[in-house]
Amino acid sequence: MSDLERELESELHRVLDAVAARPIPTRRSAPGRVSLRALLGGAGAALTIKVLTGVAVAAAAVTVAGAATTGSLNPAVWGQQVSDHVQECKDRIANSGQHGIGDCVSSFASQHGAAVSSAARQHGNGNGNGNGNGNANGNGSSNGNGNANGHSKDKTKDHTPPAKTSSTSPPTFDPEPIDPVGTHPPVAISPKP
Amino acid sequence: MQSREKEGTPTAAGQAETERYQPGSDADFERLYRTTYRRILGTLVTLVRDVATAEDCAQETYERAYKGWAKWRPDAPVEAWLHRIAINVAISDRRYQRLREAGEVIRRLGRPASGPDPAVVAERSVVVQAMKKLPPKQAAALVLRHYHGYTNREIGATLGVPEQTVASRLAAARKHLQAVLGK
Repeated sequence: MSDLERELESELHRVLDAVAARPIPTRRSAPGRVSLRALLGGAGAALTIKVLTGVAVAAAAVTVAGAATTGSLNPAVWGQQVSDHVQECKDRIANSGQHGIGDCVSSFASQHGAAVSSAARQHGNGNGNGNGNGNANGNGSSNGNGNANGHSKDKTKDHTPPAKTSSTSPPTFDPEPIDPVGTHPPVAISPKP
Repeated sequence: MQSREKEGTPTAAGQAETERYQPGSDADFERLYRTTYRRILGTLVTLVRDVATAEDCAQETYERAYKGWAKWRPDAPVEAWLHRIAINVAISDRRYQRLREAGEVIRRLGRPASGPDPAVVAERSVVVQAMKKLPPKQAAALVLRHYHGYTNREIGATLGVPEQTVASRLAAARKHLQAVLGK
């Protein structure tokens, strides 16, 4: 062993033994493998947050739009208003001697649907693309269209008998219509000789 | 050194080998950490800038080792495996050393000017400072040989090179060290 090697060995032991004699620190643990960071960060998380925010705002917009239209946060209020209006329409029709409350109820339902849809669109436009689409579709379609269509069907019928004599009308399975008074003369059956 | 090998005295590298470890076992890894930490730290002190950095590198070494602990083969020399990781960590650290210089200056300013702190003694050692100027693999060969008492074969297993390469690397390291020390 050369002088250099001896000196090197003694110097390394003098210096490094003192360093190594210090207390051993607690081992630093590696970061956990649970990808919580992946759930809370990154592009996927941003998309998730946007979707959740959109859903939450859509739900809030439904509530606000309903409240703005009916004056109450309770959806049952709208149902009660419809019932009241139907009764009002019936009374009005009975007094005037007409048949069918379709026009009356349909106009009320259409007004409500249009009001809800516009309110939803306003909320949607204010909250960005994702929110706006969700709100407008959800509110406008379910409330406005559903009610309006149901009653507008009555409006087209108007409780008048269909033209059964027309050769162009297709056969239907509708029940036999009630014969209005005076449209057909009484049938006279003569006894056989 | 030669005589010790001939007598069959277990070398420093063999101390950890007498232990038995189960790959993937957390308890065994903690035992391995306790058994080998000081020697790994001693190696790293000669390779990186200062003792604090060596401690960081030691922790990094065990973090990397823990990730591969389940795949470690029990028939492989465990301390040589750890040293190999440690030397790679030290080489990586040297590459990014300059980026940390500003932080090091701040940390040094906060320390006492002098004292019996072994870290300060190590950082002021002329030999240790000279070893830090060597290429990392040459310095690693020197410290494994002259501090840990590894044989050339064990150093070869640690560094992943043939025994002849270790001999030539040691010769080059001594020559380089002589030049640095001016001897």
